[in-house]
Amino acid sequence: MVIPPVIIGKMISFVSQRLNIGTGETWPGEVALKFKDILSSFTSKLKRGVILIAGTNGKTTTSLMIKRVLEKKGFRVIHNESGANLLNGLVSSFIKKTGWRGTIKADFAVLEVDENSLPIILDSFTPKVLIMLNLFRDQLDRYGEVDVIADKWQKALNKIAGDTTIIVNADDPLIAHLGRLSRAKILYFGLEEPKSFQKNLEHATDSIFCLNCGHRLSYKGIYFSHLGLWHCQKCGSKRPKVNLSTWDSVLPGLYNRYNTLAGVAALKSLGISEKEIKQGLKDFIPAFGRQEEIEIQGKKIKIFLAKNPTGFNETLKTVISLGGKQLLIVLNDQIPDGRDVSWIWDVDFEMLPSFINPVVSGDRAYDLAVRLKYSRPAQTPIIIYENLSRALDFCIHHVNQKDPLYILATYSAMLEVRKILSGRKIL
Amino acid sequence: MNYELKIAWLYPDLMSTYGDRGNVIILQKRCQFRGIEVNIENITLETPLSKLKSCSLVFMGGAQDRQQKIVSLDFLKKKSYAVSEMINIGIPALFVCAAYQFAGHYYRPYQGDDIPGAGIFDLITEHQGNQAKRLTGNVAAELVNPSGLNGKTIVGFENHGGRTKLGAKTKPLAKVLKGYGNNGSDGYEGAVYKNAIGSYFHGPILPKNPHLADWLIAKALEVKYKEKAYLKPLDDALENQAHNFMLKKLVHRSVWGIDRKSMLG
Repeated sequence: MVIPPVIIGKMISFVSQRLNIGTGETWPGEVALKFKDILSSFTSKLKRGVILIAGTNGKTTTSLMIKRVLEKKGFRVIHNESGANLLNGLVSSFIKKTGWRGTIKADFAVLEVDENSLPIILDSFTPKVLIMLNLFRDQLDRYGEVDVIADKWQKALNKIAGDTTIIVNADDPLIAHLGRLSRAKILYFGLEEPKSFQKNLEHATDSIFCLNCGHRLSYKGIYFSHLGLWHCQKCGSKRPKVNLSTWDSVLPGLYNRYNTLAGVAALKSLGISEKEIKQGLKDFIPAFGRQEEIEIQGKKIKIFLAKNPTGFNETLKTVISLGGKQLLIVLNDQIPDGRDVSWIWDVDFEMLPSFINPVVSGDRAYDLAVRLKYSRPAQTPIIIYENLSRALDFCIHHVNQKDPLYILATYSAMLEVRKILSGRKIL
Repeated sequence: MNYELKIAWLYPDLMSTYGDRGNVIILQKRCQFRGIEVNIENITLETPLSKLKSCSLVFMGGAQDRQQKIVSLDFLKKKSYAVSEMINIGIPALFVCAAYQFAGHYYRPYQGDDIPGAGIFDLITEHQGNQAKRLTGNVAAELVNPSGLNGKTIVGFENHGGRTKLGAKTKPLAKVLKGYGNNGSDGYEGAVYKNAIGSYFHGPILPKNPHLADWLIAKALEVKYKEKAYLKPLDDALENQAHNFMLKKLVHRSVWGIDRKSMLG
């Protein structure tokens, strides 16, 4: 007897959730993958198509915005919410929404995809919309270098043409370059607000040399990392004119302005009106661990995922601009975080005002403590707790009612923080 | 006397893939903690040679392929000669990861032509085909050179596809305790030539190995001031804690690490 893949996937998902082996999000798909093209058969059953979100930073927030707007408009949406963004995670998110007979009752799938998985995913189906947010250095031991990923993306983009709209970040020279080479329909987004220009180029930049001729790029203004109003003085290559540059951001932080623009551009390309988008984004609640707010013993805690230099810098700026005073930083080196913690030396911890004395914890608390020691005036005390539970106890005890505790954590650390806190209060 | 030191950071905007800046921060701060006046000179494509030559310590970090190609012309045609001369008169230098390979005779990819190197170190690097394992992970080693550091340990992270073999004029930096090192087969890591050090410990090698940083600073002062430099000891409790935490995790808790160590010793 041949058992349909959906049924096997569902059975494994059910058993794994009951037995509490993981969240049931990543591995049931592994099995279903033995059935070739299952993802392609799933996506072909969607009434309207797939919106893919790719990039180093901002995938989860951007996809959540799109999902919220589409759902408020009455569409049925499949979404990989828990960040299960590898091929098997995508298959799992379909299996969960598929009937035992293999029927899918959904209009759209809004799927965030891992940088390395984009090529294989574009092999299985053609998305209606593909968003390319940015490419920054991130977990080199796992992803490889930015240029290596860009090469893979460029090859993968050859597979899609005019039936797909690609939403391209014009301010990222590498992403803009990929957009220009593609045969798909392109919509560019980018910021046009000189008041947000930074004075200097940050150290953690990856694409500041012309993709066309190799000459150093010039910038009229830089927003962060290598994002900005760039042009090449040698070959004349420059930031493309943008189709969308303004929209009220749903969350604090310059990076969220980009996420909002990308999401709105995608929604507009699907024919959703500006009014409906505004309506759909009202009272936006962030995804877990992305500026998520919780309250414990009457004290406010805000959790920020921060997993690579650019994301970390932008998060630090956001916390400082929100007037943050109490900070806990958790650095882990498990596989989802990247085993290599070298990147903390590309984070500009020097920007932390002297009145913030961060508490550090996680698998690599001592590495982080050394980084902080060398970023602060001599003799500034650094509080270290190897044990995360004790670090949280200490912070919650010492934080006052008025000022929130800001927690910056790498991926697995963020999950641990939530797990410990949820043991004390239902999240 | 009041010391003053200029440190050359080669291609900070092109050869600094992942945390390489950490080395420069450590050198700079450890000078400042001791009252040594220190200047970091960013040496990149447009920088004149005179600026490079005014320095007493050289650092160069890792790169992506595209960036290394951009650097290649400038380094091989212009700056590598100056760096070579500096190293030959005893100026200390640190080459990390891609810079380490680049400072050898050549890099042989598994496809295509050899990529020429600066020939500062007598060594070659080969990639053994796309099926060959990438040598990635936490790594610990025991220094065998330079002689002043013999027996001390270093910890870090390595991530390289190429296998490096040392020639007769270059001495190894360390014996691998855990990890792969130069090639994953002969048990050695890194290279030392005069006062120049090359290592696969990528990105920030110095933060958890402050003794290596201090050795470089002391050598730089000795060459510049032509006298034995006395470095004021610093409170390295935190750095040592970070070092020992990883060393313990990698070596002492691992049966294989201990076996390997006794085998090599």
